Amino acid sequence: MILRAPRSMQGRLFALSLLATLVALLIAAWGIAGVLERFVVAGIDQRLDAEIALLASAVDGDGRIDRTRIEARRGVMQSGGGWRWRIETPRGAMGSTDLPALADGPPGPPGLHGPRDDRRDGPDGPDGEPRAIDGQTEQGVRLHARRYTIATAAGPVTITAAAPRRVIARPIRDAIVPLLIVLAMLGIVLTLAAWVQLRLGLRPLRQLQGAVAAIRAGRADRVDEDQPTELRPLAAELNALAADNEAALASARMAAANLAHALKTPVATLALAVRDDPERARQVARIDATIRHHLGRARDGHAGARVVTPLAPAVAALVHVVERLHAGRDVTIDAAIPADLAVRLDAHDLDEIVGNLIDNAARHAKSAVRIVAAREDRMVRLSVIDDGPGIAAADRQRATDPGVRLDERGDGHGFGLAIVRDLVALHGGGLSLDEAPGGGLAVTVTIPAALS
Amino acid sequence: MRILLVEDDADLGPAIARALRAEHFAVDLATDGIDGAHLGETELFDAAVLDLGLPGKDGVTVLGEWRRAGRTMPVLILTAREAWSDKVAGFKAGADDYMVKPFRVEELVMRLRALVRRAAGHAAARVTCGPLAFETQTGQFELDGMPLKLTAFEWRVLSALMLRKEAVIERLDLLERVYEGDADVDSNSLEVIVGRLRRKIGATMIETVRGRGYRLTASVAA
Repeated sequence: MILRAPRSMQGRLFALSLLATLVALLIAAWGIAGVLERFVVAGIDQRLDAEIALLASAVDGDGRIDRTRIEARRGVMQSGGGWRWRIETPRGAMGSTDLPALADGPPGPPGLHGPRDDRRDGPDGPDGEPRAIDGQTEQGVRLHARRYTIATAAGPVTITAAAPRRVIARPIRDAIVPLLIVLAMLGIVLTLAAWVQLRLGLRPLRQLQGAVAAIRAGRADRVDEDQPTELRPLAAELNALAADNEAALASARMAAANLAHALKTPVATLALAVRDDPERARQVARIDATIRHHLGRARDGHAGARVVTPLAPAVAALVHVVERLHAGRDVTIDAAIPADLAVRLDAHDLDEIVGNLIDNAARHAKSAVRIVAAREDRMVRLSVIDDGPGIAAADRQRATDPGVRLDERGDGHGFGLAIVRDLVALHGGGLSLDEAPGGGLAVTVTIPAALS
Repeated sequence: MRILLVEDDADLGPAIARALRAEHFAVDLATDGIDGAHLGETELFDAAVLDLGLPGKDGVTVLGEWRRAGRTMPVLILTAREAWSDKVAGFKAGADDYMVKPFRVEELVMRLRALVRRAAGHAAARVTCGPLAFETQTGQFELDGMPLKLTAFEWRVLSALMLRKEAVIERLDLLERVYEGDADVDSNSLEVIVGRLRRKIGATMIETVRGRGYRLTASVAA
């Protein structure tokens, strides 16, 4: 299994601090255990050295052992339970019988497994300084021993005192369990602290992300620059970027709108000049349609998400406009819009959507256009219904497919619907064409409702 | 019918004026907002064609000034601004119609005729007075069902009388509706035109109201 670094910064930092805490605790545990062992061993060594000194006082200059003196001191010395001592002289030995094996020294005598000398001094040690030997008896009892060699006239006399290894191990074991519990608790506290620190430390980042999201959604146009020192340059850069973006977008829209506007008058002149030539007039009309399309697109999307536009007054004003524009046609336009309906759309885009729909309907209606609207969940559903000839089902279907140029139809339904379709899509809504009950066309758009 | 055309484009303005004159309209052309506002406030027009993007004064401002000055002539906004919000603003400022450039000049002419006809209080496109009929959509006059051939000046005088049939039109009022502002008007020329019209439609239909002006009436002829 491949262990991968977590994707989240918080995860990475947390994993890292967890690892560091663990390593620190392990080092602490190892170090404390080592110090503890040295203390215990030093205490045992003191006792063994005292014993050796006692035994040494019973050995005279000729290498003879004063047994009565040892017998007299026997009560003072540790015995039993693995505590042992032994004196070896060239003339004979005295003491625990299972120690000779130990006494043979480092070259690996039988019964002594893995002799270890943890002192810096040589095998015999300097005079007056006992040296440590660790080993194991044939019965498997592990021993910690001290050995002292005295030079006598008869030759060297070796005095060995040993303690069972377990008297060292037991206090260490007794101490290490509470120590580990304390260390584990320390680890938990450190881990929690790291977690809290990361949560708090990374919070400005999360807040900054929220602020950037708000810019994208149009709820704000800049992020708060009152940030922690490390994030302040980032916030400033983000604001500069947002401002640049806004300016570039505005200038691009302006350029497109200016271009389209500048082209319109010459196109109008041209249209006037070629009106008697149907083919050229059609080409000029195409130029005009293209200009309108891109002018419409240049205007698209400048609405912030914050605006709220009441629907009924906007529709009423547009109905008035369309009635005047189609004054020659005997078409009545009725709007039934609940007074409390409002949409999350700027007035310009709403005018563009509804104006085109009413205009299309009035253009094709026989006698009447109806406009109805209702709130549906988070959207407003607005329908414009005419009693005209309608559109064939296949064309209705095609008209709502994205990418289809509706203005190819050339019957006047097209261009306005293309603008409406693009605009409502931009605002997250939809456009659908249906057959009206009387046979006319019912165009329905869904646009985001302003939630009160 | 005299039209005030306010259009700053050096090509489009004269082109529209020519097209309108070909349809017998008298046309005064103003090429900026200040001139347009002044002309509209001081002279008499049957209708105005107003661009919105004008130097000097914006079209919506010009229209507002006309309306505040009590000028009620129908105004058709002819502009490159096609946004529905602009249309709403135009109508709120007092426009009567709105056309987006580029446009078909036939449609402009038809809309202007309809605006003038409705402003005179005629709901139907066909206006009749005795044996005389005026088809306002095409601008054609008929006498006893036969098309009547008229010169531009004759058409302007007769259409003005026809739209206000049975009512007296002041002489000065009629002069203003027939001649363009910079025309060299001979005070007798109106009488000459009326005389020619009387020969075409019969002497009794156009009545001279002494000291005031003229009246088109079916009552005498009947």
